[in-house]
Amino acid sequence: MSEITKEARLLQTFASLADTLVDGYDVVDLLQLLVDTCQQLLDTTAAAILLAGPNGELDVVASTSEASRLVELIQISAEAGPCVQSFQTGEVVSVSDITDVPEAWSLFRERALDLGFASVHAVPMRLRDNTIGTLNLLREQLGELDEQDRIAARAFADVATIGILHERSLRETAVLAEQLQGALTSRIVIEQAKGVVAYTNGVSIEDAFALIRGYARSHQVGISQVAARLVDRSLRLDD
Amino acid sequence: MTSAFGAALEALDRSASSPKGYCRPFVDLFPITGASVSTLGSLLGSETLSASDTVAARLDELQFDLGEGPCWEAVRSGRPVLEPDFSVRSSTRWPALSAALRDEQLRSIFAFPLAVGPLRIGAVDLYSVVPVHFDQTQAKQADAMAGVVGRHVLRQALNAVGRDYDYRGNAYSRRIVHQATGMVLAQLDLSPDDALLVIQGHAFATSRSMMEVAQDVIEGRLTFSSEDDGIEASG
Repeated sequence: MSEITKEARLLQTFASLADTLVDGYDVVDLLQLLVDTCQQLLDTTAAAILLAGPNGELDVVASTSEASRLVELIQISAEAGPCVQSFQTGEVVSVSDITDVPEAWSLFRERALDLGFASVHAVPMRLRDNTIGTLNLLREQLGELDEQDRIAARAFADVATIGILHERSLRETAVLAEQLQGALTSRIVIEQAKGVVAYTNGVSIEDAFALIRGYARSHQVGISQVAARLVDRSLRLDD
Repeated sequence: MTSAFGAALEALDRSASSPKGYCRPFVDLFPITGASVSTLGSLLGSETLSASDTVAARLDELQFDLGEGPCWEAVRSGRPVLEPDFSVRSSTRWPALSAALRDEQLRSIFAFPLAVGPLRIGAVDLYSVVPVHFDQTQAKQADAMAGVVGRHVLRQALNAVGRDYDYRGNAYSRRIVHQATGMVLAQLDLSPDDALLVIQGHAFATSRSMMEVAQDVIEGRLTFSSEDDGIEASG
């Protein structure tokens, strides 16, 4: 992809994100759009966003693939790996060669190398002194992200933060916690909906997510809304 | 009738965590003399949780000891057992129980299973000293009320062994449990809460972790069905 095209596409993405934020929107949709955009426009193989729950534990809310091995790897990184370090320090954690990570992260190293990842870039999602989650970019190439991609990743993480918190909540901690919880709860319902569709349509959990997303897109409704209707059984996806 | 039924359901929900209150709503709603609620079988053992009078308590106890009677039938079949003419027909249906109750003025007996999805954990017994017939609506209402009691009883039992029975795990395992909850709610047509309770109860019954049970559900090795007597393992 030439630099000009990439820049143009980045601008386009931010413009469409701005549109999204004006209307009523589905936060899980927004986060999904962000990770997919990271994968398409930045030099990265996979991307995921994690949010901290009330007990400070990080949960995957959006990832470029629902493949269980990827989600599991990211979750391992959230327990002992770059993801949790970035969350705890509020700093970007960039690992240019995963074989070099400290011993405490050996499980992460083993699984990441298994899946063919060579480097990782974790960006905290910060609001002043508060870190609410992280954006994680996993790459098959060795080395650091280039400067432009680092800036774009930072911007994506900021958009995600704003998207979750809404403007009015910036002053109120209670509302902040509530909105974080809202995003995490939406994710629970989405997981349940994946189970529902996997059973009713006889497909894998991964394919179930694709079906749910496809339905949400073609009917122009939020993923969370579609998921809630699948779980309360008022909607069935017919193939 | 419907509003009295609604009030009975509300009363059951109010006494969710106090088993002593489980019988009253049945006695208030139906033309019966007494009621009892008991757990039965291997999952929670045999124990009377609540009885509205001594006859009801004794009826339960005799059935535990003799291993026969309407409450056992209700648990085994997962369906209501209606015997409006106990005094006439019981000697062939439940000979030992009938002999033991010879001196009691017992004319009608009804039993409704306590069940959550495929998990059958006990029964509600209702009896009357005068003959009564339950029409279809009454039988359905009593069955629905027994369903509510069943959820309370199972939740209580799981609470007693630790609130989130083995539901700690990490975020990844919780995700698997949520996905399995979705599959089970679709299989059994339950609410997400009840589906989770089924997974929890099954994990407890089989001494495994929720994560293991959830994995089996997702990978199709375990399918829940409320049609037949228990759990069907396939694949």
